[in-house]
Amino acid sequence: MNRTDQREYEALLAPLLSSVFGTALRLTRNRDDAEDLVQEAAVRAFKAFATFQKGTNFKAWFFRILTNLFYERHRRAQREPVRTDLEDAADLYLYGQSEALGLRARAEDPAELVMGKLTEEDIGRAIESLPDEYRLVATLYFMEEFAYEEIADIVHCPIGTVRSRLHRSRKMLQKALWSVAVEQGVVAELQPSGEGQQKGNA
Amino acid sequence: MTRLDRYTCEEVFRRLDDYLDRELTETEMALVQAHLETCAVCAREHDFEASVIRQVKTKLRRVSAPPDLLARISSALATTEAE
Repeated sequence: MNRTDQREYEALLAPLLSSVFGTALRLTRNRDDAEDLVQEAAVRAFKAFATFQKGTNFKAWFFRILTNLFYERHRRAQREPVRTDLEDAADLYLYGQSEALGLRARAEDPAELVMGKLTEEDIGRAIESLPDEYRLVATLYFMEEFAYEEIADIVHCPIGTVRSRLHRSRKMLQKALWSVAVEQGVVAELQPSGEGQQKGNA
Repeated sequence: MTRLDRYTCEEVFRRLDDYLDRELTETEMALVQAHLETCAVCAREHDFEASVIRQVKTKLRRVSAPPDLLARISSALATTEAE
């Protein structure tokens, strides 16, 4: 590798850096670890840059390296407890809650009534509460707009597995978002009467 | 499109995620769309899900890398040997 290679590599990486960092942040759940993960992945990818086929999908190639590294590190780290309350999330969870609150009659876009009040941090916290394998596909999907096939390639699993993990992760995410909305008092604000009854009762 | 060509609500519900992600075949996309145009309940569910996805995507992407991260990577690369 020479300076020309480094310049070429950095020119490909630089425009992706914020999205790479954002994904790393959701995976590691803290900024310091995210920075370390991105930096280490960048060095590893550079070492392997000669194997990258020019003209192919650099972003997917880099995310594959980042994901592999995250898994390697994470396997070594102590496992965290998984939120089992998310496992039984119903289909269309937020839609069901919104119907129960009667939001449809109050806005053309009832989802906006809840989602519009949640901050970036709230949504980040909800996605970070998902178990690893679901958090990974959800992050790649929501943050990067990768197609199912690209996600399958990045996480080394069949497309059918991506489809089912993504489906489950969406359900879990909706339940987690609702839980955050309750904690933040958003649901209490939206109650037609008896304000505050649901607060802290996700 | 004849009645037999149409999807039922259950068939549309099973395909809703894939429809939102445009991961169905062209024929399936058209069948789901035709159902959504005539079924208010499924259309409401679809619009709600689409709105949630849109807002999650928009807010999650508002993250910037630390300003000095590229410079740190750059200096790490300068001392890196290729494999």
